[in-house]
Amino acid sequence: MSEEKKSTAPTVDMKKLRQERNESITGAREKMKVQNKVIKALKEALSKEAKTIPELADIMGMQTDAVLMYVSTLKRYGIIGEGPKDGDYFKYELTE
Amino acid sequence: MKVKRDLQFDAIVIGGGIAGLQSALDLGDQGYKVAVVDKDATIGGKMIRLSKVFPTLDCASCITTPKMSSAAHHENITLFTYCTLGALDREKPDQVVAQLRQEPRYVDPEKCIGCRKCEYGCPVYVEDDEQGGFNMRKAIYIPFSNAIPQLPVLDVENCSLCGKCAKVCPTDAIRYDMEPEDFTITAKTAVLATGFELSPMEQKPQYGLAKLQNVVSSMQMERLLAPHGPYNRVLRPSDGKEPDSIAYVQCAGSRDESLGIPYCSRVCCMYAIKQAMLLSGALPLADITIYYMDIRAFGKGYEQFYQNAKAMGIEFVKAKVAKITQGDNQTARLRYEDQEGNGGVMEREHDLVILSLGMVPQWDPAGICSVNCGQDGFIQSILPKIAPTVTNIDGVYTAGVAAGPKDIVDTITEAGAAAMEAANYIKGLT
Amino acid sequence: MSETKKDESGEEARVGVYICHCGGNISDHVDVEKVAEAVKDIPGVVVSHTDMFMCSDPGQELIQEDINKGNINRVVVASCAPSLHETTFRGAISRANMNPYLYEHANIREQDSWVHHGDPATAKAITLVAAAISKARGLKPLEPIRVDAASHTTVIGGGIAGLRAAVDLARNGIKVALVEKSPFLGGNASQLDRVFPTGEKVADLIEYLTSAVAKDPNITVYTCAELTGFEGYIGNFKVTIKRKAPEDEATQLMLKQVKGAAPGSFHPFVGFYPGDVPAADEEETLTTGVIVFATGFELYEPRQGEFGYGENREVITLRQFIRAMADAPATTETLTIDGRPVRRIAMIHCVGSRQIPGIHEADENDYMNEYCSRTCCTATLQAALEVRDNYPGTQILDYYRDIRTYGHNQEEYYSRASEKNVLFFRYEPEDSPVITKTTGEYPLKVTVVDKLTFNEEVEAGVDLVVLATGMKAKNIDSLVEMMKLPVGADKFLQEVHPKLRPVEMANGGILLAGTCQAPMDINESCNAAQAAAAKAAALLGKGFVELDPFVALVDPDRCEGNGDCIAECPENAISMTPDNKAEVNPALCTGCGMCVAVCSVNGIDVQGWGLKEYENMVDAIVKF
Ligand SMILES: Cc1cc2nc3c(=O)[nH]c(=O)nc-3n(C[C@H](O)[C@H](O)[C@H](O)COP(=O)(O)OP(=O)(O)OC[C@H]3O[C@@H](n4cnc5c(N)ncnc54)[C@H](O)[C@@H]3O)c2cc1C
Ligand SMILES: Cc1cc2nc3c(=O)[nH]c(=O)nc-3n(C[C@H](O)[C@H](O)[C@H](O)COP(=O)(O)OP(=O)(O)OC[C@H]3O[C@@H](n4cnc5c(N)ncnc54)[C@H](O)[C@@H]3O)c2cc1C
Ligand code: SF4
Ligand code: SF4
Repeated sequence: MSEEKKSTAPTVDMKKLRQERNESITGAREKMKVQNKVIKALKEALSKEAKTIPELADIMGMQTDAVLMYVSTLKRYGIIGEGPKDGDYFKYELTE
Repeated sequence: MKVKRDLQFDAIVIGGGIAGLQSALDLGDQGYKVAVVDKDATIGGKMIRLSKVFPTLDCASCITTPKMSSAAHHENITLFTYCTLGALDREKPDQVVAQLRQEPRYVDPEKCIGCRKCEYGCPVYVEDDEQGGFNMRKAIYIPFSNAIPQLPVLDVENCSLCGKCAKVCPTDAIRYDMEPEDFTITAKTAVLATGFELSPMEQKPQYGLAKLQNVVSSMQMERLLAPHGPYNRVLRPSDGKEPDSIAYVQCAGSRDESLGIPYCSRVCCMYAIKQAMLLSGALPLADITIYYMDIRAFGKGYEQFYQNAKAMGIEFVKAKVAKITQGDNQTARLRYEDQEGNGGVMEREHDLVILSLGMVPQWDPAGICSVNCGQDGFIQSILPKIAPTVTNIDGVYTAGVAAGPKDIVDTITEAGAAAMEAANYIKGLT
Repeated sequence: MSETKKDESGEEARVGVYICHCGGNISDHVDVEKVAEAVKDIPGVVVSHTDMFMCSDPGQELIQEDINKGNINRVVVASCAPSLHETTFRGAISRANMNPYLYEHANIREQDSWVHHGDPATAKAITLVAAAISKARGLKPLEPIRVDAASHTTVIGGGIAGLRAAVDLARNGIKVALVEKSPFLGGNASQLDRVFPTGEKVADLIEYLTSAVAKDPNITVYTCAELTGFEGYIGNFKVTIKRKAPEDEATQLMLKQVKGAAPGSFHPFVGFYPGDVPAADEEETLTTGVIVFATGFELYEPRQGEFGYGENREVITLRQFIRAMADAPATTETLTIDGRPVRRIAMIHCVGSRQIPGIHEADENDYMNEYCSRTCCTATLQAALEVRDNYPGTQILDYYRDIRTYGHNQEEYYSRASEKNVLFFRYEPEDSPVITKTTGEYPLKVTVVDKLTFNEEVEAGVDLVVLATGMKAKNIDSLVEMMKLPVGADKFLQEVHPKLRPVEMANGGILLAGTCQAPMDINESCNAAQAAAAKAAALLGKGFVELDPFVALVDPDRCEGNGDCIAECPENAISMTPDNKAEVNPALCTGCGMCVAVCSVNGIDVQGWGLKEYENMVDAIVKF
């Protein structure tokens, strides 16, 4: 066992793995691309002030349910927080 | 790396839900060495995923975690999670042999410290079934905050192999090339506690085949009500509106010959009443209606629970809902024949509709184990009145919902009964 | 106030404080971060953390890590009630090789976040945690009390549940005294014929168990017997069993029915007769490790005039009907009972069950049975089907509130009843069916507001009314009093917690099996009995039991032997030694502290909960 904090993991032939898992990797990458776009748009839409789901959907040109999915996800990972209530809806805001 | 291991125990328990855990604890406390096998990445079964539980309204986590953690730390109990059962049968009077496969988590369990840095580092989001599909997790993730063991799973189907998790892991625990590992467990006796899944929502055309907005399953509602739910409060999934009007459709997946589920699932009346009570606490202004055929509040304290719900203002409508369609403003429209009041066909719109789905067996032993199941698919007892946990295989027992729908209280006592039978089987060998 | 406390090893107390969010149960009302902040500078506190679920593995590891690093030597967890998780955290501390009694628990959920909100909730949490910290600082390491356990159980009640428990315990190698009040085994089930949902003869079920009982040398059966004496503690109870010839009329009558029969046989509607009835009183005292209650239920007896009961001979209970059917000529066109043809029967559900204050009449003690009796719906439908299958000329009208055929293969009874033209009427409790005498074609008339036909009033003439009477808790007041047993509002025996410890009573070593706990059917009673047997086997298997050391301890230097504590102790746990010092039997002591209050010289104190500890807590409460 080496003393210094160096990788202790056995080396993996990543190239071979990438070939084997090509299909799922491509799928995941595509998914990620779309997700990153939406997240960017979402952050932008919230950059100035807190907004409700229907407001966000309007700005982003997306369905409300899809927007809610992203908002609740980013809330889970601490990027978005819940703001005050506006009528029947809550407003959401960036945490940073 | 693929060492074939053969492990010896006194008892093997298949399923680490509350039934399996209770059986294991009752055997372990008697000094027997027990292996608990679960196909999931965590033990706890359905119970740990619930919000609060009837009839005491304790939070599910608060009463499941003590059992999970005492099993996990028990000197006589060993947990095998994320394992697939390939075969299980009795080979000799003192030998039940189980063929198992440890599915790869792609994380070295010896090294991982459960810090979740990988999860935060991972850039891919995936719809999270643990949260009713209402929000997303990462491609590498720990199922939920009180999962046992606290080990992440890498979901290869959604992994981009970008290497980020390996980079941030402080203990170099990520193993992208991990392979499944086969092993066997030999025990003297076995308890089958494989539990249930909800009857499928996609089954009934009249109820929209799971395609209608704001029509959700009862398990999804448990998540909406749970302390760590997807929204941390109850919102309408279509647009985040706080619902004003909520309805339960009882027997949505049970007592229905057309679904092939003629039996009563035994818990749906009570969980609907429970959820309705929790909802009226969370949303004091909302109207809550339960459409039912018979309210089956038969357990200790259950009838009183039902009467309390009535007194709280929850509306009970005796009616079989014939059809659910999309209403205006993202509501769901129920069509039902009212059996009380003036009668006749009525229609009503609700912001959120919960289908009180039934229970179907989670495990089909066909080709894996010669245990007999009834027509309904649940494991059958050969002495249903006098020894309900005894199956057709000598020294192999069943408990919990694997043996037929039941609530947690009845599951736990049945698990104790299975443990008694199993212990006495072992005693009888010597 | 800031004197430094040291433990026995002379080490200064270093307290770790862990505050649980309980996933929102606490943190939605208590600002847990604020609590952690507020207590972190209390003398002795070295770490103050919060966690989403302290009871989860990561939560417990937090504590263990601090212990292993040598940071702390006292632990305070602020979370739910100690009844839920005190043992969880003690276990975690033990596994980190620290004495588990250097632990204090603060309940900030049941006693705080569930009853207070906002700032007052947070303020109270701070006070409770501060008090726990000051107590923790003064705690000393303790060892659990180990007492020997006799490999013997006493099962009270020889119904299905008692028999089942006895058979399982005996197979496990544990000796059993099976104590049954009547001369017969089988209990209430003996009054049945065929049982739902298998259609088996009840005789076969009872004989399955009684033959196992008879064969097993580990079981001693005491019929005509009751428990008349009780003392001791888990592992070491002393029970006195008294047998005497039965005196009540009903039992005499049953004994007459089996007169001359071979012992060891089952008699329908009487029970399994082991044979020996004591001529004179006999008494025996046994040492037993665990006691299993299986005293069962009694049938609800309708009030005079309730649905016409007691006023019309045509109104009977379901149990009487089952009996009458067994005696009736088999398969004729129309059922005949007592020589009278029965053309139409009304069956009424929920008699004496599901009673609602304000609608139903309470008994003379202002009590009513608010629960559902769980078995009567299916039992009623079974009887209805038996009639329709065997006597097609007899019609059935079924008056119900909800049909509760919940169990495995029970729904079939409901659907088959509809197919077999059983007519259903749904009634609301405030509009219960009314039975009146008529002079017309039928002796009785049933009138009801039917909820299934839009509240139409429906009248029907009938020859017989069958009341599906429910279960009541068996009256065992003398045992409840003698053994100080917990009883619920429904008068059934009360478990510790329906999910965590469903077959245990709060009294250590006293377990529950079957319908003495709540209405159940036969298979559910058997499951409960087997679960209780498993608990007993685990308790007795090691040969000893461990008890918490929170018991009174005499300081012989101070004790003057005046005996006040002995007189005060409700458990008779204190005695006087030859040299005139009080001495506590730790196994009997419940740590109630009555003795501490009366001792004029402070010569007795409760370990872990001493006067000094209370003082420290009160000081902290005053301060915060
Ligand atoms: C919406 C909803 C709400 C409910 N609310 C309540 C309530 O408030 N109170 C109450 O008392 N009850 C409630 N219940 C009922 C309760 O969930 C069940 O009684 C209980 O979870 C049954 O536990 P179990 O261990 O039998 O099954 P499960 O919880 O299903 O556990 C089975 C376990 O076996 C594992 N498994 C399955 N197949 C295999 C295999 N082939 N190999 C290895 N492992 C396998 C599974 O992964 C799982 O961990 C509710 C049910 C639902 C659906
Ligand atoms: C009308 C009717 C029909 C039913 N039909 C069915 C059916 O078809 N299928 C089914 O599964 N269930 C049925 N049941 C339910 C079934 O009868 C019960 O589940 C079962 O009898 C419960 O058994 P037990 O041992 O818990 O209680 P019990 O049968 O009440 O036995 C308790 C025993 O304890 C003894 N005892 C009481 N007090 C003392 C004391 N102080 N000291 C010593 N001994 C004592 C009693 O004498 C008795 O022998 C029916 C019930 C009723 C009322
Ligand atoms: S894999 Fe690494 S980063 Fe991920 S939880 Fe385990 S130790 Fe942490
Ligand atoms: S089982 Fe049926 S008849 Fe009996 S009390 Fe319950 S609802 Fe009424």
